[in-house]
Amino acid sequence: MLVDQEKCIGCGVCIPYCPAKAISVTNKKAVVDQDACLECGNCFRNDVVPCPTAAFYEKPGIYEEPRGIRRFFSDPTTTHSVTKVPGRGTEEVKTNDVTGRICRGEIGIAVELGRPCMGTTMIDFEKATTALAAIGVVFEEANPLTQLMIDKKKGLIDPKYKTEKLISAIIEFGAPISQLATILETVKAVAQSLDTVFSLDLMCCFEEDGTLPVLPVLAELGMQPRGNSKINLGMGRPFKIIRESKEA
Amino acid sequence: MTHTLHRRGSEESLKNDYVLLVTAASGINHVDSREKLLKVLEVVWEVGPANVGSQHLGTILQGYSLEEIKAALNEVPRVRCCFSSKEKMQEIIRRLKELDLGMSVTVEGPTEDIITFSEELGIKPHSINLSLDIWGKKEELPSEEILEFVTMCGHGLISQYLVKKLIEDVKKGRKTPEQAAVQIGIPCVCGIYNPDRATELLRKYAPNS
Repeated sequence: MLVDQEKCIGCGVCIPYCPAKAISVTNKKAVVDQDACLECGNCFRNDVVPCPTAAFYEKPGIYEEPRGIRRFFSDPTTTHSVTKVPGRGTEEVKTNDVTGRICRGEIGIAVELGRPCMGTTMIDFEKATTALAAIGVVFEEANPLTQLMIDKKKGLIDPKYKTEKLISAIIEFGAPISQLATILETVKAVAQSLDTVFSLDLMCCFEEDGTLPVLPVLAELGMQPRGNSKINLGMGRPFKIIRESKEA
Repeated sequence: MTHTLHRRGSEESLKNDYVLLVTAASGINHVDSREKLLKVLEVVWEVGPANVGSQHLGTILQGYSLEEIKAALNEVPRVRCCFSSKEKMQEIIRRLKELDLGMSVTVEGPTEDIITFSEELGIKPHSINLSLDIWGKKEELPSEEILEFVTMCGHGLISQYLVKKLIEDVKKGRKTPEQAAVQIGIPCVCGIYNPDRATELLRKYAPNS
């Protein structure tokens, strides 16, 4: 984002709204640090930041590559052309009862780098994606981050994006439940090498008797899920929970 | 994805914090689903949400009306809102079950409570997304008190600096907890930020306000 220096009155009302701390007032005018700015759009939304002169405007070329990925990943009001879903990943559990993306016997993993508060770089993403690719993870095709890879088998990100920063983005993939322990041990090891944080999700289907098959594995690993979760109630149609044998 | 997961706080603070997500699946059942989601919004409004919004427009906290939010539903529509009691959440699920719209319904909240009230309504949940916490350079995160507010917007649009400023404003009597709770939530464009919970948190962290 940029600030129209003619319009800005230097009041500084915008400063605390920026999650990247990219706005400062210099010589009685607000300025945006272009390297720090994640293009989330907060300051640009006049119904969010009460800028008295509506001085913020979009930088020319903001939707063009490579900087455009800051805008797309950081601003949830944008919609990805592949998934047709706003945001940073797939609909994961939210439509899983009809997509059958993760069926019984399978797990879904999401590693959301940069969340909460810290933001992230594509360099950190590649540390994580290469480590996961090395254990045979197949990245989710409908996830926008996967589309930035030049080698999905090795988890390599296109170099042209390497200097870009985002509020967050999500590494997503599915796997057989038998691989859960290996995947989580790899994720825990990757955590030591990053310059940011990540929030970790584990998705699975309920068994017919209402139990969750991942809980014993988590207990063995000493990983306790938090007490609040997201539950798909299975009210969508057409309903899907079993993977057909030809898809297995 | 996942933006409604990972809300942080004590069991006590989270026990009356529920998010409802009703979603059409792109390419599967989104065609002609807009009318169904409009019906969902009407039912949500009758039960009384703490917040409701549209990712393409904004939320009631920003001053948008239900009619404006309904008009903003697009070709792959989704309803995003939150409630401040288990009873309201259970009531909305009861009504959605009766309507039988065939849209995916997902609830974020205390796991055991969601499972229990689903059983009471004769609903067998399909799948779950569990939060396995935060990993990495956690030492650089703000305090848990700040995280309780910012994680109510999973897209990271609520700045920790705004939360810190408004907690100070409440402590110094410049804002009431209710005013500050709304102002903190305005950057969250989806409608999943819970201003009732935020008000309670502000009363806790600025007890003499």
